[in-house]
Amino acid sequence: MTQTSPVLSVRDLSIDLRTGSGKRRVLSDISFDLAPREIVGLIGASGSGKTILSKALVNWIEPPLEIAAGRVEYKSNNILTVASGPMRKLRREIAYVGGDPMGALDPTLPVGYQIVEKLQAVAPEIGTAEARKRVVDLLDAVRIPSAKNRFHEYPSQFSGGMMQRALIVDALVSNPAFLVADNITQPLDVTVAAQVLRLLRELTERFDTAVFFVSSSLPVVSDVASRILVLEEGRIVEQQETTALVQHPKHPYTSELMAQIPKLWAEGAANVPASTGKEVVISVRDVSRSYSVRKRGTFASHNTVRAVRNVTFDVFAGENFGVVGESGCGKSSMMRLLSRLELPDSGQVLCNGDDISRLSGKDLLKFRRNFQLVLQDPFSSLPPRTAIGAILEEPLRTHGVPDRKELRQRALTVMDEVGLPSSLYEELPIGLSAGQRQRINVARAMVLQPKVLIMDETLSSLDQTEQFKLLKLFEKLQAQYGLTYVFISHDLAMVRRVCNRVAVMYLGEIVEIAHNQRLFFDPGHPYTRTLMSAVPTLEERRYHQADYLLEGEPPSPIDLPVGCSFAGRCPNVMDRCLTQSPVLTDRGSKDMAACFLLDEPINRDMRVVA
Amino acid sequence: MFVLSFLVRRLLQGALIVFIVSLLIFTLLRVVPGDPVRLMAGGMAPEALIEQIAKDMGLRDPIIVQFGRYMSGVVQGDLGQSFVRPANGASTGGANFNDSTRGERAKVLDLILETLPMTLQLAGLAIVIALAFSFLVGIPGGLAPGRWPDRLAFYISSIFVSLPNFWLGIILALLLSVKLGWLPAIGYQGFAYTILPAIVLAVELSPVLIRTLTASMAGIMMEPFVAVGKVRGLSRRRIVFGHALRNASVPLLNLLGIQFSGLLGGVLIVEFIFDYPGLGLLTINAVLQRDFPLIQGIAIVTSAIFVFINIAVDLVATMIDPRLEY
Repeated sequence: MTQTSPVLSVRDLSIDLRTGSGKRRVLSDISFDLAPREIVGLIGASGSGKTILSKALVNWIEPPLEIAAGRVEYKSNNILTVASGPMRKLRREIAYVGGDPMGALDPTLPVGYQIVEKLQAVAPEIGTAEARKRVVDLLDAVRIPSAKNRFHEYPSQFSGGMMQRALIVDALVSNPAFLVADNITQPLDVTVAAQVLRLLRELTERFDTAVFFVSSSLPVVSDVASRILVLEEGRIVEQQETTALVQHPKHPYTSELMAQIPKLWAEGAANVPASTGKEVVISVRDVSRSYSVRKRGTFASHNTVRAVRNVTFDVFAGENFGVVGESGCGKSSMMRLLSRLELPDSGQVLCNGDDISRLSGKDLLKFRRNFQLVLQDPFSSLPPRTAIGAILEEPLRTHGVPDRKELRQRALTVMDEVGLPSSLYEELPIGLSAGQRQRINVARAMVLQPKVLIMDETLSSLDQTEQFKLLKLFEKLQAQYGLTYVFISHDLAMVRRVCNRVAVMYLGEIVEIAHNQRLFFDPGHPYTRTLMSAVPTLEERRYHQADYLLEGEPPSPIDLPVGCSFAGRCPNVMDRCLTQSPVLTDRGSKDMAACFLLDEPINRDMRVVA
Repeated sequence: MFVLSFLVRRLLQGALIVFIVSLLIFTLLRVVPGDPVRLMAGGMAPEALIEQIAKDMGLRDPIIVQFGRYMSGVVQGDLGQSFVRPANGASTGGANFNDSTRGERAKVLDLILETLPMTLQLAGLAIVIALAFSFLVGIPGGLAPGRWPDRLAFYISSIFVSLPNFWLGIILALLLSVKLGWLPAIGYQGFAYTILPAIVLAVELSPVLIRTLTASMAGIMMEPFVAVGKVRGLSRRRIVFGHALRNASVPLLNLLGIQFSGLLGGVLIVEFIFDYPGLGLLTINAVLQRDFPLIQGIAIVTSAIFVFINIAVDLVATMIDPRLEY
């Protein structure tokens, strides 16, 4: 194969979806080439046909989908017509990694064993010993710690990021000619996703693999791809080199996609006033919570998971308070403590001066009325067989509104407020979109006219357009009712847009708490800078991955390291950090961070310039 | 280490369960009407003599005292002696209250150990037949949900579940044994005598096994790792037998553990019909004769077996799926 001939070429590919009433075209006239060693990106909104196209490239089109026309050529063969036997041999050269790392392997067999199984399935001439060695070497290369032991561990013992690394090994182990990466960073935390992308770039260079990289996030794609295709409703509407596309999008759809990307540092990124009210609504005082988990393979010993450690902060009336952090940092435990779903082991949560753990009976009911919760998953958080009107009336009944007419009236009012048509009153939530469902959730919380809404990843499952609409709604409701919001989120861009003040959590602790502007332009903690370096963005980064994004994942909250919990991943780690744990230090105007560097201002300034 | 702690924990729990079962059986047997001494001594025996025998045997002590005495024997491996069965294996019970053979009554443990292997052989064969048949019918059913193999599996299990075992036993004996002469049916003089009752038990077992296997197989085939496995280059055979079946066998195993108690119930009837000299037949006779020590012994042994099998099933399940916590 010469350098100039493409490794994969798609010509006039069209795919239909067969439905009960006929056929619907989901992909039309797709044509493009993938050159050897090239990384081509594909972006598009959800439902644009991205996943169908990436499946077509690996000959994975199954009913009700069918190929209507066109070819996918690999080595001058149309792989769409290759029978399943010969296709299996081709799988050695055609690799695929999907967006569901935890479901991709058999949960009952060790990870390494399954990668060896795959390698031998596509390359039977490789002996078991050699295959094992190759897999362990590669697991090492993707920086899975103690790869030899990890080889024998099960999928459930891997974190999402580890698993995605293992699957990249699985894909590259047979040295494929090209790799289709379908939304591989979607379920991962930002720092882990950034690590995985960095790894993918490195490995594909090392193995001379061409990559077809699919994602719904333009910043992510532009990070890895040299050329980008834009897919809108099954058609490629634009195709350009990455830099050209980002600077001069030609098609209006591309411009629209780019306009939806939230800004971090640009003018107008924050949509909130810096100053907030003075009255404290919630005061969290030195709160800790740990959970006891039985240790496997022992008689009665338990592990203590320290989910929340000595957290202190105040939320003021009328403000938007953000809690950010990656999975496992204790955000959700914090939410459970704030909403009194659980009580802290030590410390207090004060609401208007009262310790909420002491509330009971009527006082507790009153507290619950003022503190409402909106959850993450729009699907499992609504009862599937209850009409929407009844869902909204139930909290009112609980809080003692008996009159049927009034119930109906208030439910309809709140539906109108959140933008749900009143015709949905008698309907079941089945068939509603995620955005509509999330509106029901907001309405269910709003119907009690609360003072504080706690949003636990409420917007995470929605696409940018829907997020934008709901944020507008939150703004409107806040102006109307003087609400206070607590946003618990992993999404820095969302927090940047709406929160007045932000707390950053790492391993159960608040490592920094600052006003919006200060946090993004002058963060006091290295972890905050790491987060900023990893956020997907098209903007010029203030913090670069080369300086701030180290390898490794957060340590387990079971075996907490001595000293600063971030020391193992910190670019500025000092001897002192390994023995002592820093406490939140005041940096002026109520901004605080927990880092020893704050004692040595010269050192810090140097880093900020970098 | 995991296996060891698992076994110790579960065996302790199991011992507690067996103890409670023994206490229940022991108490209930003594509360129900019917005096075993009257049965043993015969209807003609004088009242004073019956009282005497009952006293000698400790049957007039408080139940809790009797139970303590009994359990202290059990932990030493002594399940007591049968009330009515002589050691020489001759007649059971009788009118002659002064029969000299009564002094030499059979040990319960010996009676059980004689018959238990027969029943285990029968139950084992029944499970093997049931599993083989269920896999044959259930796997294709699970691989083609909604199509004919699935419907076939459904019809077969529907028919099997509605066949009463006593009726099936008699019909099969008539057909295979009397008319065709392929298999022996009544009594026991060799392994061939186990086959027919085992088939009857297998027919009783398999409907639930087939349904579970079909459903869990169909469920596993919908899992993402099955679809991705194909794209990763695994052959269909490898996916079905190496991965799907492995995952689908966990619910099947758990079911088997529970089905085992049903099997012990089925054994009672089937052994009685085929006059198969196993634990079931022994149980029926013991109940008819109000042979308290024997009934107790059988209850303790079967509950111990039941507990042990469920521990084994859970252990195997955790070996297959390391995520399970028992």
